[in-house]
Amino acid sequence: MKLTLKIWRQENAKTKGKLVTYKLSDLSPDTSFLEMLDVLNEQLATKGEPVVEFDHDCREGICGQCSLVINGKAHGPEEHYTTCQTHLRSFNDGDTITIEPFRANSFPVIRDLKVDRSAMDRIIQAGGYISSFTGMAPEANSMPIHHDIAESAFDSAACIGCGACVATCKNSSAALFVSAKIGHLVKLPQGQVERNERVLWMVNAHDDEGFGSCTNIGACAMVCPQEVQLLDITRMNYEYNRAVCLSAD
Amino acid sequence: MAVKKGLFKTSVGRKNLMAVTGLFIIFFLIIHLVGNLILVIPSTFFPIEFWGDVENTHDMYNAYSHFLVHFWPVTFVAWILYAAIIIHVIDALLITLQNRKSSGEKYQVTNNSTSIWYSRNMGVLGTVIGVFIVLHMAQFWLPYKVLKTEHDLYDLVLSTFKVWWFVLIYEIGIIALGFHLIHGIESAHRSLGIYPKKAMRILKYIALYFSLIMAILYAIIPIILYFK
Amino acid sequence: MALNAKIPEGPLKDKWQNYLAKTRIVNPANRKKLDVIVVGGGLSGGGAAASLAELGYNVKVFFFQDSARRSHSVAAQGGVNAAKNYKNDGDNVYRMFYDTIKGGDFRSREANVYRMAEVSTNLIDQMVAQGVPFGREYGGYLSNRSFGGVLVSRTFYARGQTGQQLLLATYQAMMKQIKVGKLTQYNRHEILDLVIVDGKARGVIARDLITGKIERHSAHAVVFGTGGFGKIFYLSTLAMNSNGSANWRAHKKGAYFANPSWTQIHPTALPQSGEHQSKLTLMSESLRNDGRIWVPKNIDEKRAPGDIPDEDRDYYLERRYPAFGNLVPRDVASRAAKERMDAGYGIGPLKNAVYLDFKTAIERLGEDTIKERYGNLFTMYEKITAINAYKEPMKISPAAHFSMGGLWVDYELQTTIPGLFAVGEANFADHGANRLGANSLLQASVDGNFILPNTISNYLADDIRTGKIPTDTPEFDEAEKSVKDQVAKLLAIKGTMPVDQIHRRLGKIMFKEVAMSRNEKGMIWAIEEIKKLRKEFWENAAIPGNENGPNSELEKAGRLADYLEIAELMAVDALDRKESCGAHFREDYQTPEGEAMRDDENYMYSSAWEWQQGEDWKLHKEPLEFTEVKPTVRSYK
Repeated sequence: MKLTLKIWRQENAKTKGKLVTYKLSDLSPDTSFLEMLDVLNEQLATKGEPVVEFDHDCREGICGQCSLVINGKAHGPEEHYTTCQTHLRSFNDGDTITIEPFRANSFPVIRDLKVDRSAMDRIIQAGGYISSFTGMAPEANSMPIHHDIAESAFDSAACIGCGACVATCKNSSAALFVSAKIGHLVKLPQGQVERNERVLWMVNAHDDEGFGSCTNIGACAMVCPQEVQLLDITRMNYEYNRAVCLSAD
Repeated sequence: MAVKKGLFKTSVGRKNLMAVTGLFIIFFLIIHLVGNLILVIPSTFFPIEFWGDVENTHDMYNAYSHFLVHFWPVTFVAWILYAAIIIHVIDALLITLQNRKSSGEKYQVTNNSTSIWYSRNMGVLGTVIGVFIVLHMAQFWLPYKVLKTEHDLYDLVLSTFKVWWFVLIYEIGIIALGFHLIHGIESAHRSLGIYPKKAMRILKYIALYFSLIMAILYAIIPIILYFK
Repeated sequence: MALNAKIPEGPLKDKWQNYLAKTRIVNPANRKKLDVIVVGGGLSGGGAAASLAELGYNVKVFFFQDSARRSHSVAAQGGVNAAKNYKNDGDNVYRMFYDTIKGGDFRSREANVYRMAEVSTNLIDQMVAQGVPFGREYGGYLSNRSFGGVLVSRTFYARGQTGQQLLLATYQAMMKQIKVGKLTQYNRHEILDLVIVDGKARGVIARDLITGKIERHSAHAVVFGTGGFGKIFYLSTLAMNSNGSANWRAHKKGAYFANPSWTQIHPTALPQSGEHQSKLTLMSESLRNDGRIWVPKNIDEKRAPGDIPDEDRDYYLERRYPAFGNLVPRDVASRAAKERMDAGYGIGPLKNAVYLDFKTAIERLGEDTIKERYGNLFTMYEKITAINAYKEPMKISPAAHFSMGGLWVDYELQTTIPGLFAVGEANFADHGANRLGANSLLQASVDGNFILPNTISNYLADDIRTGKIPTDTPEFDEAEKSVKDQVAKLLAIKGTMPVDQIHRRLGKIMFKEVAMSRNEKGMIWAIEEIKKLRKEFWENAAIPGNENGPNSELEKAGRLADYLEIAELMAVDALDRKESCGAHFREDYQTPEGEAMRDDENYMYSSAWEWQQGEDWKLHKEPLEFTEVKPTVRSYK
């Protein structure tokens, strides 16, 4: 396959970036998208030019580190894929592909296609956990949890924290990410004790980090590699309203 | 620890406000529609026993209008409505500004295959509706209720809709309203989040069919009056 | 230095409790005077960081990812073992201990393995309390599945993403400690050297991968939860940036490296399909619960797999190992696959794969059950290969996966450098020559959460009066200088051969001669090739850009420079061990039936290699004593 790539190159968050065009040939359709970038980078390195910086790690769709917007779509043309699972078979020979970083004000560009997503860490720090210190736990089977509830909690817990929801949202809202964690913990009996504080703290942290308001467009759930549901956002809103009415302070 | 920021200062809170005001406006829209459907009742239906001495559409519509303007509880609710509209608009502006700020640098290439156009363009649709509301109020509400220069509202309405481009403007406003409603109804309920999971599953269809019915019924009024 | 494993007194089953009863601990008021550096934010490092911070120590955690939630523990799929005996199938701590010892082919340290089995039950309690949504029965109680190498069901799972869920629980515990101010995280930081002051590990030199700045950090103790170095094979199931550099730099400062050549080759990964491939995605071993592995009986089979009738299929694992069938341990399954492929029965265009077939299971259990058990794995398979595995069998192939070897540690998880501890895959003791499935998550978690916090206090108890460790000392100066020199040296090469290409060539040498089956001639050849490649790297590697900012090629080059040395030690170690055990299979030491031939007389020890400054190694032997079990020929027939 032959491809023309237009790749976003940017020195750092303070400088302006631009699209730079590269051409690649002799690619196999079974090559993954990131492997194609490897090929490009090897060519650049051979010429002594700085390579295209991009985030990637596990390359099997679970770590959530890859963060490219390909032809305007977070993670690439296929729905519910990560970038690393995207293969060239999803493109046609001769295509021109534009590659940009995940964009949001809260995701400043580090270089080229690498962005800083530590804002998402800080949201979890605000309350996305169950405070159970090592050694405190009771016998695991002392608290039966219905099969369906465990499965449903898993559906939310599956979030890989990649940030595609933010990247694809026209409001740059991280509602799907926040609500996935809230959904995961609130569905389980273990998560009940901190239920009210968690949602209040996390929503506040979400706003403080500068993410936008969710307007229920639903594009986030369409690109989510783990198929986290829009219903989680609805549940988060419920939990928030409930907490505002019920929390003690 | 002060964790409550006030219901309307957070991203979720602001959306609550949009939802509550929006739903109130929808409630008004239903009443407004029912009232105005009087306009399309053929005069051959009169006299209707139940309403006593009303003999034609003209009288009935004017009686209805008179009632609205002079019955104080309606006036009271009207003030809430004005407030709701204004809050809805201001809140929308705040949310839009915040979201513009949040989204940062624009993408060079956009792909909108993951969402529907009207859900992304609520602001644009809302602006069209806003302009329409101003025009609509200037035409009827202002002379009839505020300035009291017009006393026969039925005649005013009928004469207005004899102008084809007025009809066209109204149809545009109503189409914008229809699309605004499809997303607005679903979004408002999602923002409030106070419904069971099963209701959320059928919400999309309720929103679609409700909006469709509202828009069609609103839309036929100017057209029927044009040909009347 | 003679190796002292510091195994506590008493009968095997009492050793850990005896240790806990007698070990020194630090008073809560003193803990806040003590700093600990943890390298690695995964299950072992993150678990250690969170647990130590909960205890009140001041903890700094370093990792190269942008968030600790991306550590490669996230990719573990199948499950985590624990001797809960929820299935009433005769499981207990002893049986789990025995399975692990046997699975490791009697090359692990008895006391460590027993302790791992003993605390395994606490781990499940802990993870459930932290909100891990483990698979459940309809009655609400925890569900189990079975894994290779055992006859009971003791594996707890959260669909096919168990590692992710355990890691997220650990990550969340860390985030909680960051919020309360006991833990500081340094993301996108790579550890490039260990600083030793007066013979003790007292700090690290880190490179900020964003600014390129070289930083000094001091502490009273350093914990490595740095994971494995299987990426040395280039094509592996590991993450692209997983590396052995921190371990290696510590090794060069005096930490012994134990059993470096023992690398687990996982039988169920996706086969390589092309030259530019960077990664072999793992398909969880749990698939072997319901999948059947086979190759065609006819060497020139042309039919589609679905059209090949049962009588023309060779279910070679069921044929060779009727007792365990498709659930033999990983090393056995990998080798059996290699045997078929070498004999020419491999499938796929490169003849480098075997079939993993779910047809029987789908007929028996229905597609829905299979979907619930492995749905995400099937989806993942389809995303990568565009093949629907509900309709036709998966193609799988062995791939480098786990490093059983690592930094030598004693019972307290302390390396030969006082104050340097190693947890999880970074250390060596628990898995012997072959790791059983679902023991990796277990070991990483219990090391970090339950064992290290109790053993590190014994070391830190001496430091309550030490005060802050200054970073403006000659030791830090020297370490920082050597790191800066190496960075400068790498950037000065300005060659034309991309780093990945050299890495790929290293991987090929390693996979050919120092992987599933090894022989003396091959390894001598490999050592020569590695040396040549190392020379070529330092003469001709293409590393563009500079050190004052993000530079992924520079990062990769630094890691490869270390791999090129680790590779040699792996070959040296494999050459030294003239027996076959577990994953270490020497063609020159096998039974007539082609099974591994152990030599307990001469090789009942762990090899711990000491770096000699002349770039050579000195072997120290830690003899393995088995008091409770009698080493037998490991048979799964």
